Amino acid sequence: MLELYHSEPNTFFLKPLIALHEKQATFQSRWFDADQLEQFGLGLDGEVEAHLQLEREGPLLRHDGTLISSSFFMLEYIAEALPGESLLPRAAYDLYRARASGQFLGANLGSMVPVLGCVKYLQPRLAAMDRATRDAKIAAIEPQERRFGWQALVDGTYTPEILATARDRLKFPVSRVEAQLAQGPWLAGPNYSIADIDAFAMLRVLPDLAPDVVNPTATPRLCDYLARIEARPAVRAALTTSRSGKPQQHFVPGVEPSRWG
Amino acid sequence: MTVRLYHWEPNANSGKPMLALAEKGVDFESHYIDLLKFDQHQPDYLKINPDGTIPAMVHGDRVLTESTPMMEYADDAFDGPPLKPADPKERWRMRWWMRFFDSYFAPSASMIGWSIFVGPAVRQRPKEELEAAIARIPLESRRIAWRKAMFNQFSEAELAESKRRVIFCLGIVEQHLARHPWIAGRTYSLGDMNAFNLGYAMPLAQPDYCNDAKTPHIMEWLRKIYERPAAKKIWALGRTAMAQRVKFLERTAHA
Repeated sequence: MLELYHSEPNTFFLKPLIALHEKQATFQSRWFDADQLEQFGLGLDGEVEAHLQLEREGPLLRHDGTLISSSFFMLEYIAEALPGESLLPRAAYDLYRARASGQFLGANLGSMVPVLGCVKYLQPRLAAMDRATRDAKIAAIEPQERRFGWQALVDGTYTPEILATARDRLKFPVSRVEAQLAQGPWLAGPNYSIADIDAFAMLRVLPDLAPDVVNPTATPRLCDYLARIEARPAVRAALTTSRSGKPQQHFVPGVEPSRWG
Repeated sequence: MTVRLYHWEPNANSGKPMLALAEKGVDFESHYIDLLKFDQHQPDYLKINPDGTIPAMVHGDRVLTESTPMMEYADDAFDGPPLKPADPKERWRMRWWMRFFDSYFAPSASMIGWSIFVGPAVRQRPKEELEAAIARIPLESRRIAWRKAMFNQFSEAELAESKRRVIFCLGIVEQHLARHPWIAGRTYSLGDMNAFNLGYAMPLAQPDYCNDAKTPHIMEWLRKIYERPAAKKIWALGRTAMAQRVKFLERTAHA
């Protein structure tokens, strides 16, 4: 029995949806409305790994009773445990590159992309909710690292200066990806792999959120890369699971920013 | 094909690939990079890793600079005993915990370590020399970290939060090791090697929270890893008192 608990197919939630469709796996979709904080009422936090949620918010995959969390490692799990097309690079060094890419982009995109998306799209929705209901739901969130992600949006913590800094810091990971794509069509060796699914899910929203950083003039290879992945049948199938019709406008708070500054 | 490893003490990120290679039975050419002398920001080293971070592994024409994926490479690329569980669910658990150690536990533990050890070890040098050293650091995130350590810019609130997290993590790991003999589950793996580098000195760094009474499972797990020939071999490469702290794990030390 394979069940995926997810919200709209964007960022963290999009990754396993693509991988499961690439594998042509049979699974039950358990959709929840993250805007309404429904993920905190699913009763899925019994395992420490699901409770702590390294990305703060994200999909959960239940496979024969075991809860798998953390989106990049979920991709590795799907690639290793399920039959179907291999989504792993074959050579040891390409596997290293896939894992290093997941780690690098997780740290460098995983917090900033969700902040930009949440401020643009989620914050107005939270502001429109019944205040008492919303605040009670947020106050009940554990652990505190997850609660703070939501509280910051309600409190209006993200000033224009913080958002400008976030957009500016995106230039570093984006330029690395653009440079990697000059070496070959995919991020980890000669074939499309989990590294590309991982990167695509976070990068595809940047032409909207940071158009001065990602656009056909500044990052032509990245824009071509996003279009190539978007054209894959499995990616199109994953995106059609959207209930809103605009999955790219749905975000959840992401990885906690580095406490080192 | 020779493996060259550029590393500092067997501690934290440097120690992770050192221990993984030793467990795999792979000999490597050791290049000691003195973090406290900023060897990692010198031109010779930047030719190997332009980001100026340690460790770095060079295997043939391949260069690897991310320490945890480097551990998986050590297992994937060489013959020797497997360092990852065969069961995909255990492999997933191993990776989840390695990221938990790398991105949640280690930054808090290292903030405390940098405030009491790394910062004071370099701070007495002239301010101009320190500023010049910072200017040579390639990555913005590392410039921020070094500036904080050199000029003691950690706030009391930051350090208190780091201590809260370290204590919280010790509790979580103790519960985990009460349920499973090893980090991944039934199998000694890269997850244990990763965590040992973070935790080997916890009984000395946090004696009130990591000891035989409060965290018996952590203590036994640390001692079991320390008794492995690979750990003995790697910690013998340490040059400072930092690595010597591992001897606290001798069973006879406190009998």
